[in-house]
Amino acid sequence: MTTDGAAPAGTGVIHDLGYQHYDGPRLGRPAIIRALAWHSLRSAFGIGRGAKAKIVPILAFILMCLPAIVNAVAVAQDPGQPSIVDYDTYTYQLRTLVMLIFVAAQAPELVSRDLRSHVLPLYCSRPMRRLDYPLAKYAAFTAGCLLLVEIPLIILYVGNLLSASGGSGVWEQTKALIPGLGVGVLWALLLAAIGLVLASFTGRRAYATGMIAIYFFLTWTLAGILVEIAQHGAGPGPVTSGIPLGARLPGLISPFTVLDGVRQWLGGTNPGPIPPPGSVGAWYGVMFLVLLAASLGGLAARYQKVGAA
Amino acid sequence: MLSTVTASPQLRAGPGPGDAGTATGVIRTEALTKLYAGDVTALAGLTVDIHPGITGLVGANGAGKSTLIKILLGLLPPTSGRAVVLGHDAAASGERIRALTGYMPEHDCLPPDVTGTEFVTHLGRISGLPATAAKERAAESLRHVGMYEERYRQAGTYSTGMKQRVKLAQALVGDPRLLLLDEPTIGLDPAGRRSMLDLIGRIGTEFGISILVSSHLLGEIEQICDHLVVIDGGRLLRSDTMTSFTRVSQVLVIEVDEGTAALQAELAARGLGPRRSERGLLVRIDGDATYDVVRDAVADLGLPLNRLEQQRRRVEELFRDHEDEEERGDD
Repeated sequence: MTTDGAAPAGTGVIHDLGYQHYDGPRLGRPAIIRALAWHSLRSAFGIGRGAKAKIVPILAFILMCLPAIVNAVAVAQDPGQPSIVDYDTYTYQLRTLVMLIFVAAQAPELVSRDLRSHVLPLYCSRPMRRLDYPLAKYAAFTAGCLLLVEIPLIILYVGNLLSASGGSGVWEQTKALIPGLGVGVLWALLLAAIGLVLASFTGRRAYATGMIAIYFFLTWTLAGILVEIAQHGAGPGPVTSGIPLGARLPGLISPFTVLDGVRQWLGGTNPGPIPPPGSVGAWYGVMFLVLLAASLGGLAARYQKVGAA
Repeated sequence: MLSTVTASPQLRAGPGPGDAGTATGVIRTEALTKLYAGDVTALAGLTVDIHPGITGLVGANGAGKSTLIKILLGLLPPTSGRAVVLGHDAAASGERIRALTGYMPEHDCLPPDVTGTEFVTHLGRISGLPATAAKERAAESLRHVGMYEERYRQAGTYSTGMKQRVKLAQALVGDPRLLLLDEPTIGLDPAGRRSMLDLIGRIGTEFGISILVSSHLLGEIEQICDHLVVIDGGRLLRSDTMTSFTRVSQVLVIEVDEGTAALQAELAARGLGPRRSERGLLVRIDGDATYDVVRDAVADLGLPLNRLEQQRRRVEELFRDHEDEEERGDD
């Protein structure tokens, strides 16, 4: 709004006496939550922040897309050969590493920063409720993780389609893509929740990043080592002899292996970081829900407190 | 003790949904009490009526000012009693109150890596403004608080004064009917304090927005307030209009650059019975004739007259009196 009907000429100074009241529409809580979520999603990728804030998200995105691009090139060179990257596991080592870095670096960007600069009282004093803030943050970060996981899958799909032979080829690819997208949703839902709850405990971004990275890395390494030990302990027998229970349980330790256990439990057959859970598959489903519920519950409890402070 | 004189009514015409009927009072509390865990009493039966205009909320640190503001915003449930803000019950319809109220917190709340414009625009959207309106209102609020080119710079480069202005702008962006300002002059140098107070005074009088401004410094806040609420230990000490706080006394202050003693003798001879004060003489006023007598005495002695005015009681003196009374009562 500008002051219509110019101020008396001759003074050379614009006197800001012309305060105008706002008579336009005022949006309700859903729109406010959407605005906060959109703002947070942008900040997850460093948009609206300085150049430095964009480095990690952009690198993570490029790294994540590489396998899909390599695959597209390879398949284009030799249309006969099958896709070298699977939709549901998508080079799991790389995906785990990239998501670990992205969540550890960007979850604090969404929540620790607000704690650090004491912005929360400003949100609390506006027409929203206490849990609207964590809700908006979770929605935004889930969407951010989703973009990072799913866009490479779409690139992979498009790359494969370009060399697919006929309608059956397209159908084959689509059939393989859909569970892959589903796995991506599980990844985003769980990792965003864990990242945010850990980051919400400190206003210091470096501590938050360290905490998340250490938690993810330690549990991932520990699960890997325990699986290894159990498998070696069973002796180098043929695979058909069955995988010992000791090798099927350690995956419950790490969020990344829990996600893979759920994938295999739900029918994924491509090899992943842990051996097929077999009879304990449902435990992975339960563990996924427990981790998700604990993280979201923790996040909610955290902001019940912060709001009152 | 409780006076409910309406000072400079600034009620905005125009539809305020849901505030019909009780439109006269801006804030009303009834026996408001807040106990924190561990038997800490933040507010103890505070009953006060706040009217349109600028009201100062004065008290020492820990007197309960911030607790009161949080209860008024519906962020903290009172232990007992009740608060009504703009016609809405604070405990029940905090959201409604927060839609009509702008809040400026005491502490620093600006992230260093965003510009003033981005910050205020974003908070405008969180106040419920559509995107375009938020942008326009942010530009306007920043202009009103005197942030011009600086608003495109990152907040990390701002001086304390600029930060306070941006904090005020974010409170103003949603075009509130009431502003709650928590210690807005804290950390500012004297010049910065004066311009912040001027700004608050202008917002209160020219923008037609009621203001509750808290401060632990009585002297500065009294310059802009119509009404003063003084709390101590969570209890109401006094609530009154500014004029009744600083009512002019029936005492004349006379200051001369030299010859004070001679003047004192002369005035005594003319039957006024002057008393010596720090810098001059005090004379009880007995109608206009008193002025004539003083004028003649000064003129006859040929003294350089520096000051001749009715003594104003400073607010602080009143509280000193109050404390003295309390002490006497304790004896």
